[in-house]
Amino acid sequence: MELVNKFSTKFAQIKKRNKKEHIDIVVRMFFLISTVISASFILIIIVFISMKGIIPFITDNNGIGSVNVIRFLTGSIWLSGTAFQSNLYSVGFIIINTLYIALLSLLISLPLGVLTALFIAKVAPKKLAEFLRTVVELLASIPSIVYGLFGSGVILVFVYNFADVLGIQSKGGNSVMATVLVLSLMTLPTITAISEVSIRSVGKDIEHGSLALGASKTQTNFKVILASAKSGIFASAILGIGRALGEATAVSLVAGNAKSGPTLAFFETTSTLTSTMLEGLKETTGIDYDIRFSVGIVLMVVIMLTNVILNYIKKKVGNVDVK
Amino acid sequence: MSNKRKLKDCFYQTITYFAAFIAVATLSLIFLFVFINGYKLLDFGLLTNDYYATFYNGALEEGYSFSSTLKPDSLSEDVHYSEKWGLGLVDDKDREGNSIIIIEYVAEDSPLLLMYNKNSEEGIESIEFIEGQLISKIAYFDKGTSLTRTGAKVMISDLDSTETIREIVYSSLGGGIRGSIITTFYLIGITIAIALPIGIFTAIYLNEFAGKNKITNILRSLIEVLTGVPSIIFGLMGLAVFVPLTIKFTQADSANLISGSFTLAVILLPVIIRATEESLKIVPDSLRESSLALGANHTQTTFKVVLPSALPGILTATLLAIGRVIGESAALIFAIGTAVKDDISIFGKSTTLSVHIWSLMKDEPANIELASTIAIVILMIVLTLNIIIKLISKRFIRDLG
Repeated sequence: MELVNKFSTKFAQIKKRNKKEHIDIVVRMFFLISTVISASFILIIIVFISMKGIIPFITDNNGIGSVNVIRFLTGSIWLSGTAFQSNLYSVGFIIINTLYIALLSLLISLPLGVLTALFIAKVAPKKLAEFLRTVVELLASIPSIVYGLFGSGVILVFVYNFADVLGIQSKGGNSVMATVLVLSLMTLPTITAISEVSIRSVGKDIEHGSLALGASKTQTNFKVILASAKSGIFASAILGIGRALGEATAVSLVAGNAKSGPTLAFFETTSTLTSTMLEGLKETTGIDYDIRFSVGIVLMVVIMLTNVILNYIKKKVGNVDVK
Repeated sequence: MSNKRKLKDCFYQTITYFAAFIAVATLSLIFLFVFINGYKLLDFGLLTNDYYATFYNGALEEGYSFSSTLKPDSLSEDVHYSEKWGLGLVDDKDREGNSIIIIEYVAEDSPLLLMYNKNSEEGIESIEFIEGQLISKIAYFDKGTSLTRTGAKVMISDLDSTETIREIVYSSLGGGIRGSIITTFYLIGITIAIALPIGIFTAIYLNEFAGKNKITNILRSLIEVLTGVPSIIFGLMGLAVFVPLTIKFTQADSANLISGSFTLAVILLPVIIRATEESLKIVPDSLRESSLALGANHTQTTFKVVLPSALPGILTATLLAIGRVIGESAALIFAIGTAVKDDISIFGKSTTLSVHIWSLMKDEPANIELASTIAIVILMIVLTLNIIIKLISKRFIRDLG
C-alpha cells in the first residue's frame, strides 16, 4: 500500500512538470540506451570470445582430452597428430612470429612514414604537399584485401626472384619478407598521417628559436622538430603496430602458413595469429573449431600487452610538450 | 656554412624526398598492377552475369527442317557458319583463360531453336538457345562427338556433314560477379540501417546530453577501445553471437547476411560516432543557446537546430561507413562466409566483393585476373566515395566559416 502511495505521488510530480520536460527525459533515456548499447559491445566481444575460447582448455573435447595451457602457449608445432583426434595445439611459435613480423614491418614503415610526414609538413612546396596528402589518404582508404592481392601478385614474385638471385629456394615467395613488406606498405599511410599532424603542431617558436641560433633548415627539421613531435610519432607507431598485429586477409595470402616454427629466416614461410585463424574454415564443431577462439583470445591479449608496454615507453620518452 | 654541413643537409633532404617518393610509387604500382591484370575482363557482362554457369542438354525432335539462311554480312571472318543449321560459332577465351566456343549467331529459321531440355523431369520443356551462350559438346548418332577443344571450325564442319543431332550441351557464360555485387549492396543497406541510428544517437548523447562525470568517461572509453580491435576479432564475435542469434530467430541455418550486417554495424559504430561527434562539436554553442532562450527544450534544440547543422558531418560518416563495408574482408569471412552465390537471400550464405577476392586468391591456382577486376570495381567505388567526402567537408568548412 505504501509503495502504491509512493508511486502515485511520484507520478503526480512527473505530471506536474510540463510536457516539454517530460519529452526531454524520455528522449534523454532513449539516447542513453543507445550509448549503453554502443559501449557494451566491447564487453560482449571479450565475454563471448573468452567463453568460447576457453572451452578447449576446460572440457575434454568429446573424449580427446583438454588442451594443456602451458603447452598451448609455448609449443612450436601448431597441431601434432591428426586433426579432429588430437588436442596437441600450440601457438607459442606463432606468437613469436606475429611479434617478429610486426616489429620488422614497423622498422620499415616508421622511418619511411615519419620522413614522408616531415616532407609533407615542412619540406615540400604547398602544391606538392597537397598532392602527397591526397596520395596518403588514398593509400589509407585502399581496402586491405587489395593490398593482399597486390602482395601476392607483385611482392611474392619480387621476393621469389630476389631469393633466387641469392641462391635461396623460397616457397613461391611466401615468406617472412613478403609479409613484412605487405604489412609495412599497409601501415605506412597510418603512420604518415598521424606523424604529419604532430609535426605540423610543433610550435613555431621552437622552430624559429632553432633557426635563430644558426641551425640550418634541415638541421632544425631533423633535430628539433622531429624531437618535439616525438610523442605524436610514437602514437602513430603504436597505431601502426596495432594494425600490423591484427591484419588478417592480406597476411594470409602471403605468409605461406607455416605449421611449425618460429620462423626467423627472411625467406621461409611463416604464420601469424590472424592467418592461423583463417585456416581450415571447414570445421564447424569440436576442438578444431573452438581453438580458433582460443587463438583469438591470445591475439587480443598480445595486442593489449603490446599497447600497454608501448604506452608506458611513450610516457617515458615523450616528455616534450606538444600542442 | 661549411661544406661538410651542406653535404649532410643535402643528404638528409634527399632521404625525405626519397621517402615521399615511395608513397607515390606504392600507390601507382597498386593501381597499375590492378588495372593491367584486371582490365581485360572488365565489361558489363561481368557485372551482370551469374558466377556459376547453367548447363542445358538440348535434343531435337523428329520432323524439323533445315535452315536456309546464308551467312549474314554482319558476321566477321572469325565466325564459322553452318548454313544447314543456321548457326555461327566463334572461338574465344573465358574469364579463367580457358578456350571456349561462343554462339555468335542463330538464324531465325534454325532448327536448333526447337530444341527441348533432355534432362527435364516434367516432360518436354523448351529451352533458350541464344547468342552469347557457349557450346561445350555436340554429340551425333553417326560419328564421334565434337568438343570445345577441337575448335569452332571443326564443330561447324562436323555439323554440316550430319543430318541428325543426338545432344547439344551448352551453357550460359559464368564467372560473373552479380551475386557478390548484390550481397555487397544488401550488406551496405542493412548495416547502415542498424549502425547509423545507434551511432548518431550515441554521439548526440555524448555531446549534447551527457554530464561531465565518471560514467560518461567510462562509456566513452569503452567505445574508444572498439577502434583498436582488429576486424578478425569482430568476425569471431559475429560467429559467436550474431550467427547463433540469427539462426535461432530467423529461418537462417548458417552464417548469413543479417549476421554479417550486425557484425559490420558493430565495426562501424566507433567510426560513425566519432565522425558525428566531430561535426556536432563544430556547431557553435551560440546556436544552442539562442534556441534554448527562445523557449525550445533540449530535445527540440537537438533535433531542429543542432542536427541539421551537423548533417554534412553525418553524411560524411555514412560515406566512410560505406567504404568500410565494401573493403571489409576478415570479419566477413567468419560472419557471412565465403560461399559465392548467385541467388541472394538475406537469410542465406553469400559473399561480398572483398571476400570474393579472398576466396579467388586462396584457390589453387589463384585467379589473379578476376580478382584484379573485382579490385578495380572496389577501388572505383572507394575513390568516388573519397572524392565526395572531400567535397562535402570542403563545403562544410566553408559554410561554417
